This record gives sequence, structure tokens and C-alpha cells, in this order.
Amino acid sequence: MKQTNRITAVLTLAFIAAVLIATVVTGAIRGNRAYANKANAAPGEVLGSIMTDSFAGREQWLRLNALIRSKAGEGLVNGVYVGKGMLLDAESSERKIPAATAELINSFVSRYDGAVYFAVIPTSSGVYSDMLPQYLLKYPENQQINRFYDQLGGSIRKIDAFNILKMLNDSYIFYRTDTKWTCYGAYCVYRTVIQKLGFIPTAYDKYTIRHITGDFKGSLCLRSRYSNVKPDIIDVYVNPEGAEVLSCRGYYNDGSSVEKQLIDERLLDTGYMYDIYLGEEAPLVKINTSVNNERKLLVIKDSIADCFIPFLIEHYSEIDVISPELIDRPIEELTDTDNYEQILFLFSIESLEDSSKFRCLAGQKG
Amino acid sequence: MVYSSLLFIYGYLPVSLLVYCAAPKKHQPLILLLFSLIFCGMNGIDVLLFMVIYTLINYSAGILINRLGHDHRLSALPFAAALIFDIFAVFFFRANLFQPLREAVNIPELFFLPGISFFTLSAVGVLIDVYTGHIPAEKNIIRFSLYIMMFPKLLMGPVLRYPAFEKALDRRRVSLEEIGIGIALFVKGLAKKILAADSMYLLYSAVKSVDVREMPALTAWLGIAAYLLCLYFTLSGFSDMGNGISRCFGLRLPQSFNYPFSSTKLRFFGAKWHTQVIQWFRRYVTKPFSALSRNRIYKKLIFAAAWTLFGFWYTFSANGAVWGALIGMGILIENRFSKVKNPQITGAVYTFFTVLICSVFLSGDSITYSLRYLFAMIGGSNVLADSMTLYLIKSYIVLLLICMYASTDLFKNMMMRSGRTRLKAALGAAEPAVVLILLILCTALMSYYGSSDTLIIRL
Repeated sequence: MKQTNRITAVLTLAFIAAVLIATVVTGAIRGNRAYANKANAAPGEVLGSIMTDSFAGREQWLRLNALIRSKAGEGLVNGVYVGKGMLLDAESSERKIPAATAELINSFVSRYDGAVYFAVIPTSSGVYSDMLPQYLLKYPENQQINRFYDQLGGSIRKIDAFNILKMLNDSYIFYRTDTKWTCYGAYCVYRTVIQKLGFIPTAYDKYTIRHITGDFKGSLCLRSRYSNVKPDIIDVYVNPEGAEVLSCRGYYNDGSSVEKQLIDERLLDTGYMYDIYLGEEAPLVKINTSVNNERKLLVIKDSIADCFIPFLIEHYSEIDVISPELIDRPIEELTDTDNYEQILFLFSIESLEDSSKFRCLAGQKG
Repeated sequence: MVYSSLLFIYGYLPVSLLVYCAAPKKHQPLILLLFSLIFCGMNGIDVLLFMVIYTLINYSAGILINRLGHDHRLSALPFAAALIFDIFAVFFFRANLFQPLREAVNIPELFFLPGISFFTLSAVGVLIDVYTGHIPAEKNIIRFSLYIMMFPKLLMGPVLRYPAFEKALDRRRVSLEEIGIGIALFVKGLAKKILAADSMYLLYSAVKSVDVREMPALTAWLGIAAYLLCLYFTLSGFSDMGNGISRCFGLRLPQSFNYPFSSTKLRFFGAKWHTQVIQWFRRYVTKPFSALSRNRIYKKLIFAAAWTLFGFWYTFSANGAVWGALIGMGILIENRFSKVKNPQITGAVYTFFTVLICSVFLSGDSITYSLRYLFAMIGGSNVLADSMTLYLIKSYIVLLLICMYASTDLFKNMMMRSGRTRLKAALGAAEPAVVLILLILCTALMSYYGSSDTLIIRL
């Protein structure tokens, strides 16, 4: 027994020492990124974050973690529910949309005379909520969206994207590995939205669909590291007979601007593949099209709308796209909202839970 | 920082152990104290400051009591002052009643001072012992500080009498063999926390999200079983981890849990559950107050009151007190009526279910909630099971049964009965591999958040 105890000590201490040395080396290479974000936290918390972030073989540990958790118990891995062939955010129904979000939006709309449209896009967990265990549905997304719509001013025209998507839930409308909709999901909602905006939607068969990649592993895959689910396909819809983009330019808070592309395939290799839609984020993006109707649309949105914007170019000669969470000043300092006859709000339900993102709409600094 | 974190296992523990082992034996207590101070500082500089002040106050009080020992009335002053300070501190940090006061001094709502319930018992115990003349006050500040804040016993005890701690400190022996035993014990505790307690916590959380007024009976039973197992594995897991670390540093400390769910009687359960803490209450509450009268009913009332206090110590709310009172009264009733020896299985089942039902009060946020929960357990919602019950059973039944088995001494007994068989030899030889595999599994399960610090009860 003495011998066994000695072997236990040597084996485990050697293992711990090896991991510690490898972690110190990894940490030294990566630098102390976590420290910068947690300057006010307890030293143990800061060091814990650094240790976790640079833990030797972290990727392999996370995969083992996913394997164990997906096999034992309910199949919940780091807040991700492993469903049949699909990953769902198990924490989505914990979120609530605060009343302050609607108040800030109402405050903006009260200063504007044109027509305002609002579409809240659910997450995959909201639409496929029947796949989730019942007890995880604390605040169902459809109820959250309805409550939020009730809080919005009467002049805002609300679009029921939830039910449109719910009715089509047999189709590939949400990514299997992400909370976001697919390009097809966006197209299905576009058909309704564009009719409300006063146009006839472009028929599905007019588009040429290009599979950009079949290897998209979304945010849920990244969070859970669960690999036993089929990667997603990222599509791009192009209407060969439709309007062309004459210019697409992103404007930043420091006054600089860069030329952008509606689909930036260079970003396929740099991390989150969904970013190819509209390219790198910018507070304001101005798109001029070959459509000759002098109609201007302002889209106030979050990243979920990025794959939706290309569908709109068929109908407007100018589309300006604002991401309020990226703006550091009141929206009026960025663009004159009276220049637009229509404003479309397009947000994921996830974005609405943080009302601070909308402060710039109420004339406050972001 | 908790024991069940990557930072502790792969950073703090090996570094402190290396420095400790490299130091000459006479300096080892100082090294251990320095690392204990760093451990407290890891939870915040304010935590470290509080611990230093707390230790100094209790140390000074002990010295003063000793010096004024010839005058019992005069020595009562530092004794009472330190006692009031200790009791106020534990109430201040734990009781909901003090939330407004905590807010007034800018203490965040979720702030928790690790181990305050344990080191308060230690500090109060030593004050009483010094005041009553059972022991002299410790003059060595390093040794006294270690008694209060030694990091291997800071989070979950065990609560030792000062002479017992002194003995363990003096008889420490660091060797590779001791480190092996300590690591095996630490990993066993880690596995209890991460593999068992955390799984049961998920099941309990799922049940708790259901409205208690509509809760099916079977769901309620599942929930409370998960709660009790989670509580046991959390407490005994942390206790094992603490004892394992102490062993690595050469100190042999007594265990706090001895398979309480294998008890055939409630009173055996009471002797095997959180043993050191129960002994503290017996020594400093039951015995001195019982000695005041020879009346048997009075003695029984004191016994029940001590259990009530023990229960209150868990939660600092009426719910914990009710749990303690029920267990205490259960033991008294059992002693009065049950003289016959229960058969092993029926006795264990009876004890488990009695504790399970009493635990409804420990788990509840209020007495009303607990009563409603009990009502749900007896079918008050008129539903035996629903789709969620079946889902939870399907998802957790294997884990639940494994946890129930692991909470008993069946495996240990099997090993003991097997004598010097090949099986025993094989299992013994496989221990290093088992320890390493468990450590790898636990590391993997901690890898995303960096720690497993979910606590069903904060002590």
C-alpha cells in the first residue's frame, strides 16, 4: 500500500506539474487578456480567468467536457442543449426584455414623422422551444416578443417574424450550430417585411443560391465544443436580374470610412463565418443601388439583420444601416433621420435584453 | 478561490506544496500561514484585512483572558467582547437581517466570506476553553493564526478543538506516501463535488423551477432526493478535499462524514453527519447547559435546542432551525420508543427517508414554501407525474442511483469483506490510475468556467 501511495503521489504530481508548466508557457505566449477586463475583480478571480483562458490543451479539455456532459444527464453542455441534430441555447429563456428598451425606442420614434416598422427575430431556441426541456422555458420568446410589442408605441408597425418562422420550422431556417437564422429564414421574413414596406417581394426562383461554405460551426458549437452535429451551410442569395450595388461604405465613430462589400468572403477564414454578411461591423453603412426610385430606407439593426440587408437592395436607391450598439453619440449626429421616409428596426430578441445598446436613439451618448 | 478550481489545483496547491516541502521543518508553519494569507487575499484584499483583524482580536482576547485569569469577573470582559464580536461577525455576513447594514458599508449582495461559519466556531470554542481554564491561551501568533485561517481547513473545516489542532500540527510528517494519501483523498472529494454534487444540483435546479403548487408528487421526491445528495456530496466533498490537502502538508485531521446514509437509526446518522460540528455543539452547548439541571425533560429540551442551533447554523434562517429541531426531536423519539435493533436495510431506508423529509425544510426559502413542498410530496397537486417528471427520470436515473450507491458504505464494506483476495489487490494497484482518471475527468468538467463553485449551501 505504501508503494501504491507513492506511485499515486508521483503520478499525479507529475501530471499537475506538466499541466502547470505547459499553462505558464501558453499564458506567456497569449498574454494576460483576461486581466484587462477584470481590473476591479478579486485577485483570485483575475488569476482564475487567466489560468482558465490559457490552460494547457484547453481545446481538448473542452471537447472532453462536451463529450462527458452530452452523454450524462440531460445533455446540457455549458448552457447549450444538445438536441436531435441541433444545438440550442438553453439559457435563452432566462432572458427578459426590459421595459427600458421599448421606452428608448418610443422616445426616438416620437421625434420622427415617417413610417416605422419593427421586427423582432427570435432565436432558434424560441422557434424550436418544443425540443427544449419544459423547465428551461422560463420566459418563452413568443411571450417576450408580444409583451415588447405591447410596450412599443401605437404608430410603430410590428411584424410577427416569430410566427412566420414557426410555421416554417420544418425548413432550414435556423442554423443547427448557432442561434441565428439562415439566409433562407431571412428570406421568408423578407417576403412579409417588404410587403409591409409597400413592395412586391422578389420570387424565390429568381435567386441564384450559392453555397459559400458547408463548414460553418456557429456560436453554440463554439460554446459547447460539441462536435457530433453536422456543420452548417452558409448561403448567399443573388438575383442576376436584380439591382446592383453601386457603392457600399462603412463609417466609423472617428470619422473614417472604408469601402465595404455586401458579402465579404475574405472573412470566411478569420473566425466567425456569419460575419461575411455585410463584412466587418461599422456603426453606419451607406449602400447606394442601381434602383432609380429615389427612395431611402434607414435600417436600425443588430448583427442578425446582416444577411437580411442584401434582399432590400432590389427596392431602394439608398439604404443606410445603423448599428446602435456601435455608436458613441446620439443617432442624429450620425445621420439626419428626417431624410428617410421609412425606418425599419430589425433586432434579434437577444439584443433587446440590453437596453443600454439603445441609448443613442434617445439622444444619449452610447 | 475554491479548492475545486483549475487555479487551485494546477497553480496554488503545487506551488505552496513545493515551497512548504522545501522549507526547514521549523519554518513550515510560517510558510503555511503565508500561503493561508495569500489564499484569503485571493478572495479580495478586504477579505484578507478582515481575516487579519479577526484573528488579532481573538488572539488578543485569549491572551488578555489568560492574564486576567485570576479575576474571573475581569477576564469576563475581554471574553464577552470577543464573543460578541465573533457572533456579530457571523450574523453580519450570513443573516439576511443584516442585508441593509451590509449594503450600507458597500458589501455587494452576493458577497460571501468563505468559511466564516467554521472559523467562528473555532474562535468561539477556543475563547470558551481559555475562559473556563481548560487550555492556556496560545501565545504563538503563527500557530493561533493557522488555527483560524489555515487554508486547507478554511472553507469547510473540520472544526477542531485547539489542542487537537496543536497535536496535528506538532505531529505533522511530510513524506511522499502522505502526499499520495492526501492527493487520493483530495481527488475523491473533488470527484464528489464535480461528478456527483454538480449533477444532483442540476436535477434539483430543474425541479425547483417548477411552481411548487403544481408540482407532481414524483417530481417533488426526485427534487428533494437530489437536494439531499447534492448537500451531502458538497459538504463531504469539500471536507475530503480539505483533509486531503492537510494530509499533503503532513497534518492528519479527522473526517467529518462517515457514510451517514448507511445509518440504521437517526441517532447514528447524527453521529456520522458533520461529526466535528455536532461535537462542537455537544461540547459547548449541550453539555454545559445540561449540567445546570438533573431534570430529564430539561436535558432533552437542551438536546433538541442544540440540534435546532446546529440547523440554524446551516442557513441562518428559521428553515434550518426547523430542520435541526426535527432531527433532534426525531432522535429523542427514536431513543424513547425504539429499543430494538433495526435490520440493516429497513433501518437504512427508514433513516434515509426521515432525513429526506426533514430536508424539505433545509432546502426551502421559507417555512411556507417547505410546507407546500411537503404537500406536493404527498400528492397535493393531484398529479403523480407529468412529462417533465418522466424526462427528468430518463435523464438522471442512472446518475441518481450511482450517487445513492456512492453515498453508502456498500463499496467500502465489500472491500473490507473481500480480505486479501486478488480483487482487493487489483483494486489497490489500480488506485493511482483511478485517481489520475478522476482528476482528468474533473479537470475536463471544470475547463469551461475554470472552477466548480456552485454551492447549495454557503457556510
